[in-house]
Amino acid sequence: MRTAAELNYREKGIISEIDFSHPSSKRIMEHGFTPGQTIELVCKSTFNDPIAISIRGTLIAIRKSEAGCIKLK
Amino acid sequence: MRTAADLKVPLITLVGPPNSGKTTLFNILSGKNYKTVNYPGSTVEYFTSRILSKYNIKAELVDSPGIVSLIPESIDEKVAVDSLYSHPKLGTPDLVITTIDSCQLSRHLLLPKQLISAGFNVIIVLTMTDILAKRGLKISERKLSKALNCDVVVLNGRSKQGIENLIQATNSNLERLGVTYKKNIIPYNSLENRKDLIDTFKEIEGIVNDVYENVNEDEKIYLNSANRELKILQDGTTNNGFTPDEITLKIDRVLLHRFWGFLVFVLVMGLTFTSIFWIAQPLMDLVDELFTNLNSLVLENFESGWFTFLVSDGIISGAGSVLVFVPQIIILFVILGLLEDSGYLARGAMLIDKPLSKIGLNGRSFVPMLSGFACAIPAMIAARTIPNRKERLFTIFIIPLMSCSARLPVYALLIAYLIPRDKPWLGGILLGGIYFFSIVSSIVVAWIINKFSKRIFSTEGSSSFILELPSYRVPKISAVINHTYNSSKEYILRAGPMILGFSLVLWFLTFFPNINPQVETEGFTTRQIQNLERAERLEHSYASDLGKLIQPFMSPIGMDWRIGVSLISAFAAREVFVSSLALTFKVTSEDDEEQSTLLNSLRNAKIEATGEKLFTVATSIGLIVFFIFALQCLSTVAVSRKETGGWKIPLLQVFIFTALAYFMTFITVNGLRFFGIQ
Repeated sequence: MRTAAELNYREKGIISEIDFSHPSSKRIMEHGFTPGQTIELVCKSTFNDPIAISIRGTLIAIRKSEAGCIKLK
Repeated sequence: MRTAADLKVPLITLVGPPNSGKTTLFNILSGKNYKTVNYPGSTVEYFTSRILSKYNIKAELVDSPGIVSLIPESIDEKVAVDSLYSHPKLGTPDLVITTIDSCQLSRHLLLPKQLISAGFNVIIVLTMTDILAKRGLKISERKLSKALNCDVVVLNGRSKQGIENLIQATNSNLERLGVTYKKNIIPYNSLENRKDLIDTFKEIEGIVNDVYENVNEDEKIYLNSANRELKILQDGTTNNGFTPDEITLKIDRVLLHRFWGFLVFVLVMGLTFTSIFWIAQPLMDLVDELFTNLNSLVLENFESGWFTFLVSDGIISGAGSVLVFVPQIIILFVILGLLEDSGYLARGAMLIDKPLSKIGLNGRSFVPMLSGFACAIPAMIAARTIPNRKERLFTIFIIPLMSCSARLPVYALLIAYLIPRDKPWLGGILLGGIYFFSIVSSIVVAWIINKFSKRIFSTEGSSSFILELPSYRVPKISAVINHTYNSSKEYILRAGPMILGFSLVLWFLTFFPNINPQVETEGFTTRQIQNLERAERLEHSYASDLGKLIQPFMSPIGMDWRIGVSLISAFAAREVFVSSLALTFKVTSEDDEEQSTLLNSLRNAKIEATGEKLFTVATSIGLIVFFIFALQCLSTVAVSRKETGGWKIPLLQVFIFTALAYFMTFITVNGLRFFGIQ
């Protein structure tokens, strides 16, 4: 199963679930990453990490290690 | 402090996610006339104020730190949420006003939902509706109010349009509560778990779908069609959400570009950095001149006695060394404010997160570290925005390694001493080299300290970097000025008494017990005699006794007690080193030539015991190295204690950085000598 961390530049995906075991999962969900939402990888920074994801009309910068707990359909 | 509870007035707390316009609302209601209240034992700070009398509400207003949810994760978040439930000084709020960005309803409604289920009495303030209107949409206050069962008010932060409605809603809410209102708040830990979070968001999505309306007709529309109207490309799968601001996305295609983005970042930081120095320098000189003149004025017009010297050398010079940094701090805050308000600072933090995470820091450590090049005190305070406790403590720990501007006069003097008179350009290169060396060495030191981080900070916690990138906008100048004013005031109030107090102690140590020194007066001007007297007084002062005590430590690095005294004086503020050297080495000149004659007397200075030259190339470079590493600033220590909530970290900082400075100086001086450079 792919995760948000594996999205390519300008690729979209729909969230299927959030890995609750990840320590940042609650924080990620509070920022609006919940199942069913469409996300898009908008930018990658110079060192490929963190990435900027568009969710619910906002851009969120997030580390790849944390984006890894956002599972996609 | 007299609080709302003592005075029996209702307490209104402002709560809201970051970037939701909460502080703007606080400024409107309070008239920017506020004070800070600390949560006991922590660094979480609250602004509190009475509501402006023109609004006719008798209530205490509190601005709380921005939070996205009521379920805390970090220690500081827990403190923020705890104090919302029941602040030890302020009590439990009678009314919570929460600001929500209308364009981000589906994210921002989480907090009011939680507040309402916790049992708070809530008013929702919808901000940024003008931006929403540009998208052809508005929010039905009536429907939102019905769905959440609380008052909803639309407010324009720039024009203050809608404030009367908020006042009215506040009044009717407070009236409804009456005096007999019993607060029945459910603690957060029994509130929700992760599964509930998903359900809450589902509910919010339902509400959001319902409340957005077309600006022109009252006809309900779905957001997909709204987005189609705006010609934003959507595929069929998108549900209730906008796409981010188109212009922002376009700008980010450059500013967050993998190559250009980093180049722009380096350029922006370079410009920020140089303007901290080049724009501030003439202003700093002006402040310096003002206090030097004031000092001379006192000395010339009053009878020479200990009290005159207390006023001139103790109080006036002490106040001068506090205020000399104000221009720099103002410029730093103006630039940072402009960058932050435009939305760029969050991008900067994102770009630098990866390299910083390699040495145990966080993208959010970046702004505090940058500020550290001006002054460590505002820098440590800025570290409060780092959510992870370990990363925050670590950032505070290494901030003294950033070469703050107080070291500049010291570098300037020693560079002037080192380079030949006919090659002034060499000085610029040397100064650049010093900054480069100090940046590289702080990275290395940070990397080493990170290896021992568990023992030093005794806290771990998972490292996290999730940061909202706000839409770009033209910075609001009034907000930047307001923020700059408050931060500068905070610097003066926090560092001022400390630096001034310590200057007075130092003045005492350098002035007593030899109050009336005897010197030759023939052939000298009054000014020169005064300087001679000062030098004589210093030579037999308590400070020199102290300096002689540390002579055994100074010899191995090729220096003597006189430099030792100046190094001790530099604990008040580093630039005091220069004036203290000038005093110690009997400078008998007029003020304007202070540096050149000081250079001459440094050239002629000999080590008393051996008669060898004291300021050689090796010892001068050694001194520069000492200043790169040493933590010689008591105000920094005091602020570090306050911000870390204990003595452990500041004491470790003093010990480690001073030992490191001594060790590196020892290696530099003896290494250079080994290679034949005296």
